[in-house]
Amino acid sequence: MKNNETKKTFNPDTDPLISVKDLKKSFKDLHALNGVSLDIYKGDVVFIVGPSGSGKSTFLRCLNRLEEPTSGEVYFEGVEITGRNVDINRHRQKMGMVFQQFNLFPHMTVMKNMTQAPRKLQHKSKEEAEAEARVLLDRVGLLDRADAYPNQLSGGQKQRIAIVRALCMKPDVMLFDEPTSALDPEMVGEVLQVMRGLAEEKMTMVVVTHEMAFAREVASKIVFMAEGQILETGTPEEFFNHPKTERLKSFLDRIL
Amino acid sequence: MNILSLMGEDIVEFFTGFGNDFYLNFIKNARWKYLVNGLGVTMKVTLFAVLIGIALGFLVAIIRATHDKAGMMSPLLKAVLNVLNFLCNVYLTVIRGTPVLVQLLIIYFVIFASVRIDKSFVAIVAFGINSGAYVAEIVRGGIMSIDQGQFEAGRSLGFSFAQTMWYIIIPQTFKNVLPALGNEFIVLLKETSVAGYIALEDLTKGGDIIRSQTFSALLPLLAVAAIYLTLVIILSNLQKLLERRLRSSEK
Repeated sequence: MKNNETKKTFNPDTDPLISVKDLKKSFKDLHALNGVSLDIYKGDVVFIVGPSGSGKSTFLRCLNRLEEPTSGEVYFEGVEITGRNVDINRHRQKMGMVFQQFNLFPHMTVMKNMTQAPRKLQHKSKEEAEAEARVLLDRVGLLDRADAYPNQLSGGQKQRIAIVRALCMKPDVMLFDEPTSALDPEMVGEVLQVMRGLAEEKMTMVVVTHEMAFAREVASKIVFMAEGQILETGTPEEFFNHPKTERLKSFLDRIL
Repeated sequence: MNILSLMGEDIVEFFTGFGNDFYLNFIKNARWKYLVNGLGVTMKVTLFAVLIGIALGFLVAIIRATHDKAGMMSPLLKAVLNVLNFLCNVYLTVIRGTPVLVQLLIIYFVIFASVRIDKSFVAIVAFGINSGAYVAEIVRGGIMSIDQGQFEAGRSLGFSFAQTMWYIIIPQTFKNVLPALGNEFIVLLKETSVAGYIALEDLTKGGDIIRSQTFSALLPLLAVAAIYLTLVIILSNLQKLLERRLRSSEK
Protein backbone atom coordinates (compact mmCIF):
# COMPACT_ATOMS: atom_id res chain seq x y z
CA MET A 1 0.00 0.00 0.00
CA LYS A 2 1.37 3.37 -0.93
CA ASN A 3 0.83 6.41 1.16
CA ASN A 4 0.96 9.29 -1.27
CA GLU A 5 -0.14 11.90 1.17
CA THR A 6 2.96 11.78 3.37
CA LYS A 7 5.20 11.58 0.30
CA LYS A 8 3.77 14.78 -1.10
CA THR A 9 6.61 17.11 -1.96
CA PHE A 10 6.88 20.42 -0.18
CA ASN A 11 6.09 23.47 -2.27
CA PRO A 12 7.58 26.53 -0.59
CA ASP A 13 5.31 28.93 -2.44
CA THR A 14 1.98 27.38 -1.50
CA ASP A 15 2.63 25.25 1.56
CA PRO A 16 3.32 26.75 4.98
CA LEU A 17 7.02 26.86 5.85
CA ILE A 18 6.11 26.05 9.43
CA SER A 19 2.85 24.44 10.36
CA VAL A 20 1.95 23.95 13.99
CA LYS A 21 -0.94 21.66 14.88
CA ASP A 22 -2.57 21.54 18.33
CA LEU A 23 0.66 22.07 20.20
CA LYS A 24 0.57 21.42 23.94
CA LYS A 25 3.28 21.80 26.52
CA SER A 26 3.05 21.30 30.24
CA PHE A 27 5.67 21.70 32.93
CA LYS A 28 4.47 19.41 35.72
CA ASP A 29 1.15 21.02 36.72
CA LEU A 30 1.59 24.16 34.65
CA HIS A 31 -0.01 24.14 31.21
CA ALA A 32 2.16 26.52 29.24
CA LEU A 33 0.54 25.77 25.88
CA ASN A 34 -3.04 24.55 25.55
CA GLY A 35 -3.40 23.55 21.93
CA VAL A 36 -1.80 26.10 19.63
CA SER A 37 -2.12 25.87 15.84
CA LEU A 38 -0.49 28.27 13.42
CA ASP A 39 0.73 28.34 9.82
CA ILE A 40 3.70 30.46 8.89
CA TYR A 41 4.43 31.01 5.19
CA LYS A 42 7.61 31.93 3.43
CA GLY A 43 8.31 35.65 3.79
CA ASP A 44 5.94 36.07 6.73
CA VAL A 45 7.05 38.31 9.54
CA VAL A 46 5.02 36.98 12.42
CA PHE A 47 5.07 38.83 15.72
CA ILE A 48 3.87 36.99 18.80
CA VAL A 49 2.73 39.28 21.58
CA GLY A 50 0.83 38.86 24.81
CA PRO A 51 1.12 39.29 28.56
CA SER A 52 4.03 37.63 30.32
CA GLY A 53 3.37 34.01 31.14
CA SER A 54 1.13 33.63 28.11
CA GLY A 55 3.38 30.92 26.64
CA LYS A 56 4.79 32.90 23.72
CA SER A 57 8.42 32.12 24.43
CA THR A 58 7.58 28.48 25.08
CA PHE A 59 5.75 28.37 21.76
CA LEU A 60 8.75 29.83 19.93
CA ARG A 61 11.13 27.40 21.61
CA CYS A 62 8.91 24.48 20.63
CA LEU A 63 9.33 25.44 16.96
CA ASN A 64 12.95 24.22 16.94
CA ARG A 65 12.39 21.81 19.83
CA LEU A 66 14.60 23.57 22.33
CA GLU A 67 11.48 22.80 24.32
CA GLU A 68 9.97 19.36 23.69
CA PRO A 69 6.22 19.67 23.13
CA THR A 70 4.06 17.42 25.30
CA SER A 71 1.79 16.72 22.33
CA GLY A 72 0.92 18.12 18.94
CA GLU A 73 2.96 18.43 15.77
CA VAL A 74 5.34 20.89 14.20
CA TYR A 75 5.97 20.62 10.44
CA PHE A 76 8.95 22.43 8.98
CA GLU A 77 9.29 22.49 5.19
CA GLY A 78 6.82 19.63 4.99
CA VAL A 79 8.60 17.38 7.49
CA GLU A 80 7.16 16.60 10.88
CA ILE A 81 10.09 17.57 13.10
CA THR A 82 8.31 16.50 16.27
CA GLY A 83 8.50 12.87 15.13
CA ARG A 84 10.60 10.31 16.96
CA ASN A 85 13.10 9.47 14.23
CA VAL A 86 13.80 12.97 13.00
CA ASP A 87 17.35 14.29 12.89
CA ILE A 88 16.45 17.56 14.57
CA ASN A 89 20.03 18.87 14.28
CA ARG A 90 19.72 18.91 10.50
CA HIS A 91 16.50 20.93 10.62
CA ARG A 92 17.83 23.33 13.24
CA GLN A 93 20.56 24.35 10.78
CA LYS A 94 17.78 25.91 8.73
CA MET A 95 16.13 27.65 11.70
CA GLY A 96 18.24 30.47 13.10
CA MET A 97 17.54 31.55 16.65
CA VAL A 98 18.31 34.74 18.55
CA PHE A 99 18.04 34.80 22.33
CA GLN A 100 17.22 37.45 24.87
CA GLN A 101 20.59 36.94 26.57
CA PHE A 102 22.57 36.85 23.25
CA ASN A 103 24.37 33.63 24.23
CA LEU A 104 27.51 34.39 22.27
CA PHE A 105 30.32 31.94 22.97
CA PRO A 106 32.64 33.89 25.29
CA HIS A 107 35.74 31.83 24.54
CA MET A 108 35.63 32.56 20.81
CA THR A 109 36.24 35.72 18.82
CA VAL A 110 33.35 37.23 16.92
CA MET A 111 34.69 35.62 13.74
CA LYS A 112 34.94 32.19 15.34
CA ASN A 113 31.46 32.56 16.82
CA MET A 114 30.17 33.07 13.30
CA THR A 115 32.23 30.52 11.40
CA GLN A 116 32.24 27.56 13.80
CA ALA A 117 28.85 26.17 12.77
CA PRO A 118 29.22 26.68 8.98
CA ARG A 119 32.66 25.06 9.07
CA LYS A 120 31.76 22.10 11.24
CA LEU A 121 28.21 21.47 10.05
CA GLN A 122 28.27 22.61 6.43
CA HIS A 123 31.94 21.72 5.93
CA LYS A 124 32.87 25.08 4.52
CA SER A 125 36.51 26.03 4.24
CA LYS A 126 37.86 28.59 6.68
CA GLU A 127 38.29 31.11 3.87
CA GLU A 128 34.79 30.65 2.52
CA ALA A 129 33.13 30.83 5.94
CA GLU A 130 35.13 33.90 6.93
CA ALA A 131 34.40 35.66 3.65
CA GLU A 132 30.68 35.11 4.16
CA ALA A 133 30.92 36.21 7.77
CA ARG A 134 32.70 39.42 6.76
CA VAL A 135 29.91 40.31 4.34
CA LEU A 136 27.37 39.93 7.14
CA LEU A 137 29.52 41.79 9.65
CA ASP A 138 29.88 44.64 7.23
CA ARG A 139 26.12 44.75 6.80
CA VAL A 140 25.57 45.25 10.54
CA GLY A 141 28.47 47.71 10.74
CA LEU A 142 30.72 45.54 12.92
CA LEU A 143 33.40 44.47 10.47
CA ASP A 144 36.06 46.11 12.64
CA ARG A 145 35.08 43.93 15.63
CA ALA A 146 35.75 40.59 13.90
CA ASP A 147 38.67 39.77 16.19
CA ALA A 148 37.05 41.03 19.39
CA TYR A 149 35.78 38.74 22.12
CA PRO A 150 32.13 39.00 23.19
CA ASN A 151 32.91 40.60 26.56
CA GLN A 152 34.49 43.51 24.71
CA LEU A 153 31.19 44.34 23.00
CA SER A 154 28.19 46.38 24.10
CA GLY A 155 24.82 44.69 24.46
CA GLY A 156 23.56 46.01 21.17
CA GLN A 157 26.71 44.86 19.41
CA LYS A 158 26.40 41.42 20.99
CA GLN A 159 22.86 41.02 19.78
CA ARG A 160 23.76 42.14 16.26
CA ILE A 161 26.54 39.56 16.26
CA ALA A 162 24.11 36.93 17.54
CA ILE A 163 21.79 37.71 14.62
CA VAL A 164 24.52 37.44 11.98
CA ARG A 165 25.88 34.31 13.64
CA ALA A 166 22.52 32.69 13.02
CA LEU A 167 22.43 34.11 9.48
CA CYS A 168 25.77 32.49 8.67
CA MET A 169 23.96 29.16 8.47
CA LYS A 170 21.71 30.61 5.73
CA PRO A 171 18.53 29.69 7.58
CA ASP A 172 15.09 29.58 5.99
CA VAL A 173 13.49 31.10 9.06
CA MET A 174 14.74 33.24 11.95
CA LEU A 175 13.28 32.89 15.43
CA PHE A 176 13.68 35.85 17.80
CA ASP A 177 13.05 35.35 21.50
CA GLU A 178 12.64 38.83 23.01
CA PRO A 179 15.77 40.07 21.24
CA THR A 180 15.73 43.55 22.78
CA SER A 181 14.48 42.84 26.30
CA ALA A 182 17.94 42.63 27.86
CA LEU A 183 19.24 45.77 26.16
CA ASP A 184 19.71 49.27 27.48
CA PRO A 185 17.13 51.53 25.81
CA GLU A 186 19.68 53.38 23.69
CA MET A 187 20.81 50.10 22.14
CA VAL A 188 17.40 48.79 21.13
CA GLY A 189 17.31 50.83 17.94
CA GLU A 190 20.44 49.36 16.37
CA VAL A 191 19.11 45.81 16.83
CA LEU A 192 15.67 46.67 15.49
CA GLN A 193 17.37 48.28 12.49
CA VAL A 194 19.02 44.97 11.63
CA MET A 195 15.73 43.11 12.01
CA ARG A 196 13.96 45.68 9.85
CA GLY A 197 16.55 45.06 7.16
CA LEU A 198 15.91 41.33 7.32
CA ALA A 199 12.16 41.81 7.03
CA GLU A 200 12.67 44.00 3.98
CA GLU A 201 14.68 41.20 2.40
CA LYS A 202 11.71 38.90 2.89
CA MET A 203 13.37 36.72 5.48
CA THR A 204 10.76 34.60 7.21
CA MET A 205 10.74 35.69 10.82
CA VAL A 206 8.95 34.72 14.01
CA VAL A 207 9.44 37.33 16.70
CA VAL A 208 8.43 37.30 20.34
CA THR A 209 8.66 40.85 21.61
CA HIS A 210 7.24 43.64 23.72
CA GLU A 211 8.19 46.29 21.16
CA MET A 212 4.67 47.18 20.01
CA ALA A 213 5.60 50.10 17.81
CA PHE A 214 8.10 47.92 16.02
CA ALA A 215 5.53 45.16 15.58
CA ARG A 216 3.10 47.62 14.09
CA GLU A 217 5.70 48.84 11.63
CA VAL A 218 7.32 45.57 10.52
CA ALA A 219 4.92 42.68 11.11
CA SER A 220 2.98 41.06 8.33
CA LYS A 221 0.95 39.23 10.92
CA ILE A 222 0.51 39.65 14.66
CA VAL A 223 -0.49 36.77 16.91
CA PHE A 224 -1.96 37.52 20.32
CA MET A 225 -1.44 34.84 22.94
CA ALA A 226 -2.82 34.56 26.46
CA GLU A 227 -3.00 31.61 28.84
CA GLY A 228 -1.25 29.30 26.44
CA GLN A 229 -3.60 29.88 23.54
CA ILE A 230 -3.79 32.03 20.45
CA LEU A 231 -6.72 34.37 20.99
CA GLU A 232 -6.39 36.49 17.90
CA THR A 233 -4.42 36.68 14.66
CA GLY A 234 -4.38 39.55 12.22
CA THR A 235 -2.54 42.23 10.32
CA PRO A 236 -1.12 45.13 12.37
CA GLU A 237 -4.06 47.24 11.16
CA GLU A 238 -6.66 44.72 12.39
CA PHE A 239 -4.71 44.07 15.56
CA PHE A 240 -4.29 47.64 16.74
CA ASN A 241 -7.36 49.31 15.28
CA HIS A 242 -10.01 46.59 15.35
CA PRO A 243 -9.28 44.18 18.18
CA LYS A 244 -12.03 41.57 18.34
CA THR A 245 -11.60 40.04 21.79
CA GLU A 246 -12.04 41.80 25.12
CA ARG A 247 -8.79 40.30 26.23
CA LEU A 248 -6.83 41.98 23.46
CA LYS A 249 -8.64 45.26 24.00
CA SER A 250 -7.68 45.40 27.65
CA PHE A 251 -4.12 44.31 26.76
CA LEU A 252 -3.82 47.14 24.26
CA ASP A 253 -5.32 49.61 26.73
CA ARG A 254 -2.66 48.73 29.24
CA ILE A 255 0.35 48.90 26.95
CA LEU A 256 -0.44 51.75 24.57
CA MET B 1 85.80 37.88 75.80
CA ASN B 2 85.59 34.50 77.33
CA ILE B 3 81.94 34.15 76.47
CA LEU B 4 82.45 35.20 72.89
CA SER B 5 85.22 32.69 72.33
CA LEU B 6 82.97 30.02 73.85
CA MET B 7 80.17 30.89 71.46
CA GLY B 8 82.67 30.85 68.62
CA GLU B 9 83.64 27.33 69.54
CA ASP B 10 79.98 26.33 69.62
CA ILE B 11 79.42 27.75 66.20
CA VAL B 12 82.42 26.01 64.80
CA GLU B 13 81.29 22.80 66.46
CA PHE B 14 77.79 23.22 65.06
CA PHE B 15 79.05 23.66 61.54
CA THR B 16 81.48 20.79 61.68
CA GLY B 17 78.59 18.69 63.07
CA PHE B 18 76.38 19.77 60.25
CA GLY B 19 79.09 19.06 57.73
CA ASN B 20 79.58 15.61 59.13
CA ASP B 21 75.85 14.96 59.14
CA PHE B 22 75.55 16.21 55.59
CA TYR B 23 78.43 14.02 54.49
CA LEU B 24 77.01 11.01 56.26
CA ASN B 25 73.48 11.36 54.89
CA PHE B 26 74.02 12.51 51.35
CA ILE B 27 77.61 12.06 50.18
CA LYS B 28 78.81 8.86 51.78
CA ASN B 29 78.01 5.77 49.68
CA ALA B 30 76.33 8.16 47.22
CA ARG B 31 73.20 8.20 49.36
CA TRP B 32 71.92 11.28 47.54
CA LYS B 33 71.00 8.86 44.77
CA TYR B 34 68.11 7.58 46.91
CA LEU B 35 66.61 11.06 46.79
CA VAL B 36 67.29 11.66 43.10
CA ASN B 37 65.95 8.29 42.02
CA GLY B 38 63.02 8.65 44.42
CA LEU B 39 62.22 12.06 42.97
CA GLY B 40 62.19 10.49 39.51
CA VAL B 41 59.75 7.81 40.63
CA THR B 42 57.50 10.33 42.38
CA MET B 43 57.39 12.55 39.31
CA LYS B 44 56.74 9.63 36.99
CA VAL B 45 53.90 8.28 39.15
CA THR B 46 52.34 11.72 39.59
CA LEU B 47 52.57 12.62 35.91
CA PHE B 48 50.94 9.45 34.61
CA ALA B 49 48.39 9.37 37.43
CA VAL B 50 47.41 12.94 36.52
CA LEU B 51 46.91 11.93 32.88
CA ILE B 52 44.75 8.95 33.87
CA GLY B 53 42.90 11.16 36.34
CA ILE B 54 42.09 13.80 33.71
CA ALA B 55 40.95 11.25 31.14
CA LEU B 56 38.86 9.29 33.62
CA GLY B 57 37.55 12.40 35.33
CA PHE B 58 36.38 14.08 32.12
CA LEU B 59 34.83 10.83 30.90
CA VAL B 60 32.85 10.30 34.10
CA ALA B 61 31.88 13.97 34.31
CA ILE B 62 30.62 14.01 30.73
CA ILE B 63 28.60 10.83 31.25
CA ARG B 64 27.03 12.25 34.39
CA ALA B 65 26.36 15.67 32.89
CA THR B 66 24.87 14.07 29.75
CA HIS B 67 22.63 11.95 31.94
CA ASP B 68 21.46 15.04 33.82
CA LYS B 69 21.20 17.46 30.91
CA ALA B 70 20.47 15.69 27.64
CA GLY B 71 16.92 16.02 26.42
CA MET B 72 14.84 13.60 24.43
CA MET B 73 16.62 10.51 23.12
CA SER B 74 15.83 6.97 22.07
CA PRO B 75 14.83 4.58 24.89
CA LEU B 76 17.85 2.37 24.17
CA LEU B 77 20.28 5.25 24.52
CA LYS B 78 18.52 6.35 27.67
CA ALA B 79 18.84 2.85 29.18
CA VAL B 80 22.55 2.68 28.31
CA LEU B 81 23.08 6.11 29.84
CA ASN B 82 21.27 5.09 33.02
CA VAL B 83 23.53 2.06 33.42
CA LEU B 84 26.67 4.13 32.76
CA ASN B 85 25.53 6.80 35.17
CA PHE B 86 24.91 4.16 37.83
CA LEU B 87 28.40 2.71 37.34
CA CYS B 88 29.90 6.19 37.59
CA ASN B 89 28.07 6.80 40.83
CA VAL B 90 29.34 3.54 42.31
CA TYR B 91 32.89 4.48 41.26
CA LEU B 92 32.64 7.94 42.81
CA THR B 93 31.11 6.67 46.04
CA VAL B 94 33.63 3.88 46.58
CA ILE B 95 36.74 5.86 45.61
CA ARG B 96 35.83 8.97 47.53
CA GLY B 97 34.58 6.94 50.47
CA THR B 98 37.78 5.01 51.17
CA PRO B 99 41.36 6.14 51.89
CA VAL B 100 43.73 6.19 48.94
CA LEU B 101 46.24 4.11 50.91
CA VAL B 102 43.69 1.31 51.36
CA GLN B 103 42.93 1.46 47.63
CA LEU B 104 46.63 1.23 46.84
CA LEU B 105 47.08 -1.78 49.12
CA ILE B 106 44.03 -3.53 47.66
CA ILE B 107 45.22 -2.99 44.12
CA TYR B 108 48.73 -4.22 44.93
CA PHE B 109 48.06 -7.06 47.34
CA VAL B 110 44.66 -8.25 46.08
CA ILE B 111 44.09 -7.36 42.45
CA PHE B 112 47.70 -7.80 41.28
CA ALA B 113 48.56 -10.34 43.99
CA SER B 114 49.29 -13.25 41.70
CA VAL B 115 51.27 -11.38 39.05
CA ARG B 116 54.76 -9.93 39.23
CA ILE B 117 54.28 -6.40 38.23
CA ASP B 118 56.17 -3.12 38.24
CA LYS B 119 55.29 -1.31 41.46
CA SER B 120 55.27 2.11 39.89
CA PHE B 121 52.70 0.83 37.41
CA VAL B 122 50.49 -0.25 40.32
CA ALA B 123 50.94 3.16 41.95
CA ILE B 124 50.08 4.95 38.69
CA VAL B 125 46.89 2.91 38.32
CA ALA B 126 45.86 3.37 41.95
CA PHE B 127 46.51 7.11 42.12
CA GLY B 128 45.07 7.66 38.64
CA ILE B 129 41.82 5.91 39.52
CA ASN B 130 41.67 7.80 42.80
CA SER B 131 42.35 11.18 41.24
CA GLY B 132 39.80 10.54 38.48
CA ALA B 133 36.99 10.53 41.03
CA TYR B 134 37.90 13.94 42.35
CA VAL B 135 38.54 15.38 38.90
CA ALA B 136 35.14 14.05 37.80
CA GLU B 137 33.32 16.01 40.47
CA ILE B 138 35.34 19.15 39.77
CA VAL B 139 34.62 18.92 36.04
CA ARG B 140 30.96 18.05 36.50
CA GLY B 141 30.55 21.12 38.68
CA GLY B 142 32.27 23.12 35.96
CA ILE B 143 29.95 21.79 33.25
CA MET B 144 26.84 22.42 35.31
CA SER B 145 27.95 25.98 36.05
CA ILE B 146 28.01 26.92 32.34
CA ASP B 147 24.94 28.95 31.48
CA GLN B 148 22.11 26.91 29.96
CA GLY B 149 21.96 29.51 27.19
CA GLN B 150 25.32 28.26 25.89
CA PHE B 151 23.86 24.79 25.36
CA GLU B 152 20.79 26.27 23.70
CA ALA B 153 22.81 28.52 21.41
CA GLY B 154 24.92 25.57 20.32
CA ARG B 155 21.95 23.30 19.75
CA SER B 156 20.00 26.03 17.93
CA LEU B 157 22.82 26.33 15.38
CA GLY B 158 22.43 22.63 14.63
CA PHE B 159 25.23 21.16 16.73
CA SER B 160 24.51 17.76 18.25
CA PHE B 161 24.71 17.33 22.00
CA ALA B 162 28.23 15.88 21.66
CA GLN B 163 29.40 18.69 19.35
CA THR B 164 27.97 21.32 21.67
CA MET B 165 29.86 19.72 24.54
CA TRP B 166 33.09 19.51 22.60
CA TYR B 167 33.18 22.91 20.87
CA ILE B 168 31.33 25.07 23.34
CA ILE B 169 30.94 23.64 26.83
CA ILE B 170 34.20 21.78 27.51
CA PRO B 171 36.56 24.64 26.51
CA GLN B 172 34.71 27.00 28.85
CA THR B 173 34.59 24.35 31.57
CA PHE B 174 38.30 23.71 31.31
CA LYS B 175 39.10 27.34 31.92
CA ASN B 176 36.71 27.52 34.87
CA VAL B 177 37.98 24.40 36.62
CA LEU B 178 41.68 25.02 36.04
CA PRO B 179 42.37 26.41 39.54
CA ALA B 180 40.59 23.47 41.18
CA LEU B 181 42.34 20.98 38.89
CA GLY B 182 45.73 22.49 39.66
CA ASN B 183 44.99 22.14 43.33
CA GLU B 184 43.95 18.52 42.88
CA PHE B 185 47.26 17.72 41.19
CA ILE B 186 49.27 19.37 43.94
CA VAL B 187 47.37 17.22 46.43
CA LEU B 188 48.03 14.16 44.27
CA LEU B 189 51.77 14.85 44.15
CA LYS B 190 51.92 14.83 47.94
CA GLU B 191 49.54 11.87 48.27
CA THR B 192 51.89 9.65 46.28
CA SER B 193 54.19 9.75 49.32
CA VAL B 194 52.23 6.80 50.76
CA ALA B 195 53.48 4.62 47.89
CA GLY B 196 56.23 3.40 50.19
CA TYR B 197 53.62 1.08 51.72
CA ILE B 198 53.97 -1.16 48.68
CA ALA B 199 57.76 -0.73 48.92
CA LEU B 200 57.90 1.57 45.92
CA GLU B 201 61.07 3.63 46.26
CA ASP B 202 59.65 7.08 45.72
CA LEU B 203 61.01 10.30 47.19
CA THR B 204 59.62 9.76 50.69
CA LYS B 205 60.82 6.18 50.77
CA GLY B 206 64.26 7.33 49.55
CA GLY B 207 64.60 9.67 52.49
CA ASP B 208 63.42 6.93 54.79
CA ILE B 209 66.00 4.49 53.47
CA ILE B 210 68.76 7.00 54.20
CA ARG B 211 67.40 7.50 57.72
CA SER B 212 67.38 3.74 58.33
CA GLN B 213 71.01 3.47 57.23
CA THR B 214 72.43 6.50 59.04
CA PHE B 215 70.10 6.56 62.09
CA SER B 216 69.91 10.30 61.53
CA ALA B 217 66.40 11.56 60.80
CA LEU B 218 66.70 15.33 60.59
CA LEU B 219 68.55 15.97 57.37
CA PRO B 220 67.04 13.27 55.13
CA LEU B 221 63.48 14.17 56.12
CA LEU B 222 64.08 17.90 55.83
CA ALA B 223 65.59 17.34 52.40
CA VAL B 224 62.54 15.32 51.33
CA ALA B 225 60.20 18.03 52.61
CA ALA B 226 62.19 20.74 50.85
CA ILE B 227 62.03 18.86 47.54
CA TYR B 228 58.23 18.42 47.79
CA LEU B 229 57.87 22.07 48.67
CA THR B 230 59.96 23.13 45.69
CA LEU B 231 57.90 20.95 43.35
CA VAL B 232 54.63 22.37 44.68
CA ILE B 233 55.86 25.94 44.30
CA ILE B 234 56.91 25.22 40.71
CA LEU B 235 53.53 23.62 39.97
CA SER B 236 51.61 26.52 41.52
CA ASN B 237 53.51 29.01 39.40
CA LEU B 238 52.96 26.98 36.23
CA GLN B 239 49.26 26.91 37.05
CA LYS B 240 49.15 30.68 37.54
CA LEU B 241 50.95 31.18 34.25
CA LEU B 242 48.50 28.93 32.39
CA GLU B 243 45.50 30.64 33.95
CA ARG B 244 46.81 34.04 32.99
CA ARG B 245 47.38 32.94 29.41
CA LEU B 246 43.89 31.46 29.14
CA ARG B 247 42.35 34.58 30.58
CA SER B 248 44.29 36.91 28.31
CA SER B 249 42.71 35.18 25.29
CA GLU B 250 39.42 36.79 26.30
CA LYS B 251 40.70 40.29 26.57
